[in-house]
Amino acid sequence: MGNKKVSRRDFMGAAGAVAAFTIVPRYVLGGPGNTPPSEKLNIAGIGVGGQGAGDLGAMSGENIVALCDVDWSRAGGTFRRYPKARKYKDFRKMLDKEAKNIDAVVVATPDHIHAPASIAAMKRNKHVYCEKPLTHSVYEARLMAEVAREHKVATQMGNQGQASEQTRLMCEYIWDGAIGPVREVHVWTDRPNRGLNSVYWPQGVDRPTDTPAVPETLDWDLWLGPAPERPYHPVYVPFKWRGWWDFGTGALGDIGCHALDPIFRALKLGHPTSVEAISTLVNKETYPLASAVHYEFPARGDMPPVKVTWYDGGMRPPRPVELEDNRQIGTNGKLFIGDKGKMLAERLIPESRMKEYGKPPQKIPRSPGHHKEWILACKGGKPAGSNFPDHAGLLAQAVLLGNVALRRELRETMNRTKLMWDGAKMEITNVPEANKFLHREYREGWTL
Amino acid sequence: MKGHKVTAKGRQTQSAQRSRATDRETGLSRRDFMGGAAAVAAFTIVPGRVLADPPSNKLNIAGIGVGGQGGGDLGAMSGENIVALCDVDWSRAVGTFRRYPKARKYKDFRKMLDKEDKNIDAVIVATPDHVHAVASMAAIKRGKHVYCEKPLAHSIYEIRKVTEAASKAKVATQLGNQGQASEGTRLVCEFIWAGAIGPVREVHSWCNRPISPRGLSRPVDTPEVPEGLDWDLWLGPAKWRPYHPWYLPFSWRGWWDFGTGVLGDIGCHQFAPIYRALKLGYPTSVEACSSGVNEETAPLASIVRYDFPARGDMPEMKLTWYDGGLMPPRPAELEEGRRFGGADDNLYVGDKGKMLSHRLLPESRSKEYGAPSKVLPRSPGHHKEWLIACKGGPPADSNFDVSGPMAEVVLLGNVAVRMGQKMYEKGLKLYYDGPKMEITNLAEANKYVRPEFREGWTL
Repeated sequence: MGNKKVSRRDFMGAAGAVAAFTIVPRYVLGGPGNTPPSEKLNIAGIGVGGQGAGDLGAMSGENIVALCDVDWSRAGGTFRRYPKARKYKDFRKMLDKEAKNIDAVVVATPDHIHAPASIAAMKRNKHVYCEKPLTHSVYEARLMAEVAREHKVATQMGNQGQASEQTRLMCEYIWDGAIGPVREVHVWTDRPNRGLNSVYWPQGVDRPTDTPAVPETLDWDLWLGPAPERPYHPVYVPFKWRGWWDFGTGALGDIGCHALDPIFRALKLGHPTSVEAISTLVNKETYPLASAVHYEFPARGDMPPVKVTWYDGGMRPPRPVELEDNRQIGTNGKLFIGDKGKMLAERLIPESRMKEYGKPPQKIPRSPGHHKEWILACKGGKPAGSNFPDHAGLLAQAVLLGNVALRRELRETMNRTKLMWDGAKMEITNVPEANKFLHREYREGWTL
Repeated sequence: MKGHKVTAKGRQTQSAQRSRATDRETGLSRRDFMGGAAAVAAFTIVPGRVLADPPSNKLNIAGIGVGGQGGGDLGAMSGENIVALCDVDWSRAVGTFRRYPKARKYKDFRKMLDKEDKNIDAVIVATPDHVHAVASMAAIKRGKHVYCEKPLAHSIYEIRKVTEAASKAKVATQLGNQGQASEGTRLVCEFIWAGAIGPVREVHSWCNRPISPRGLSRPVDTPEVPEGLDWDLWLGPAKWRPYHPWYLPFSWRGWWDFGTGVLGDIGCHQFAPIYRALKLGYPTSVEACSSGVNEETAPLASIVRYDFPARGDMPEMKLTWYDGGLMPPRPAELEEGRRFGGADDNLYVGDKGKMLSHRLLPESRSKEYGAPSKVLPRSPGHHKEWLIACKGGPPADSNFDVSGPMAEVVLLGNVAVRMGQKMYEKGLKLYYDGPKMEITNLAEANKYVRPEFREGWTL
């Protein structure tokens, strides 16, 4: 969290604010085979050096029994925090050896390992908390939802903003008709930029040709996991893998599952009908430096069709006229455009309209906290807010579909059409050759 | 007219080279946009009034900056006498020197204008952007006609001063935005004026450049200045810095001290039909967002948004510029399979329809509507317009009185981009008082309206 920008605090803050102790509802106590709320879960972490450390910290009231990381030096701090936990480098070995000792798994590896690790755990009937964007490909996201449903395990994606007060307010304003029917939404992040003068990770660059020695503590082959083999280079690890097609999912994958989550909830979105993307130069190695992805969603119940536009790399929609002259639009944001008004994140604009309107009626129960939701679900409670089958799978599929539209190989095609999407069939219907980008290939020894 | 064809071809060659470059990246082509210029390059009878000053009377023309685009411009005027050539890099200019062996050669345009004052009627300025204004102004003050490459100058203030001086000196001027002379530009006007798409409230304009590096820091190494190049003269009015091959040739476009980014490079081409058809003047506001910007180079990609007030019976209008590969979303009216991602294009959104470049969307609507009635005279060719004007004919269509205000607005976009640092979080609109050349709500932005010159250089 240390490198998160101040501007994201608002977004993350609320989850913490409501993370106070909540009484476990009676219905939680049912559920055969589940850990009763009075008992602690036995949790294993896969990928524990970065975000995984934070996730485990949020669950430290449970038993952290096993830790897996391909770089024991980077994971050193987490290892020291849980000295009783057994240590592994290969999650496959850990799941084999610890199968009887663990109830649940936290997956916070780079994106390309999410699905193999999570699915291996779910197939052993382990509950899974997996970082966003859930997976590396559309197909994997769908499969994760299916496997979770089939094995009836408790799941949660790591988009903690979903548990916030703001997410609920966005839903409640829109459901209350505060801005009328919504036909257009804009959502943006400045990532991969970090301010105008630096970047969180590079995009729009080519593969390095030099081959520095692999650091002693890193198992490079395991880090690569299912990805095609290539020599180690510090441009990939730690963290900067986000910009590389083979490992990460770009700014959209990093932030999309956070930022699009309240839009999906408030507007009850499912599969889009089409997607198109434009961007700066894109190559086969890294995501473009800046892009805009346009999604079209069909009518849902009494809600009209809606266009959702994603911007990254410093791009954003035009400043709404309703926003007062000196007010900040922000480097990350969401703008809902309704027939009767506009809303910037969870605030109606202008502020005079916000004051006049007041708060919408509360219709959604508040969250006990994002990680806590999952813990409760693991212990037989109701499904967590971003569980894979009901929510996260769909959201992640849409996010990752945007990356398909950004593919270098489809750029010429994208000049001539948008991609028409049959969500139920998981098929791009008008550009058959695009469908191969819904999947990825797995290196020998790695499967789902 | 032979000259014009050479230019059109030169331009197409450039375009083709660029298409090849962009093909690898995006597969886009600029053909649509440039096609019109060639289409009207056929012979046109010189109007009677021009004959008062017989066309046989050749102009004596001097070129300032002749190694790159200037070589093409001179080629388009080679029916006249090319009497003097000036370039700070004699090795890059050598091809042009060979083509005009009788022309006297100079490195410093100030010396050339002093020595050749009595021998030249007109000047072509095709230097890097930061030298446009000082060179054009020096020529105008001596009563020389001026053809200056786009974007006319490096700052709004310079453009204003050059435009005013040209008007006062009553010299014939033309900006180097040759697309303005095309059939396409006229069709855009005629469709819109005929109401084919109703009142226009939104125009999107884009170009997938840059084609030179961006987002760089200033180099710290100091390679030797190549033989043949007078680096101090190349810098001209810009702040002194050591020579580096990252700046020239051509790559100066991305460096704020010398160039004006993609908007400056291409904006005057793209905005010309928009300005003419929609009778635009100064916008009321401008806002910009971009990929990282720094004090040294223009960003890799940006979006600039202008708000224009109502004009006569035309309603308020928004003009959005995109570069670096960004574009508006595909219009629903465009048929599946039809190319939208042009290297550069304009999309006009009216209350009753849309037009891409000069074609109504969709194609069925275009066919049903047919051609609008011709209300604008066709051009004899962009360079020819200026030659005719120099010889006493009517002003060229992109004379500075017409193109100056437009070029100012192009560069206003860069002011907004450069304030990105200040505006990154806030995303403010800059409110603009065009006649006063002043950004009214963010005083510090005005430093980009009128940058300082190095000692020894003035307008």
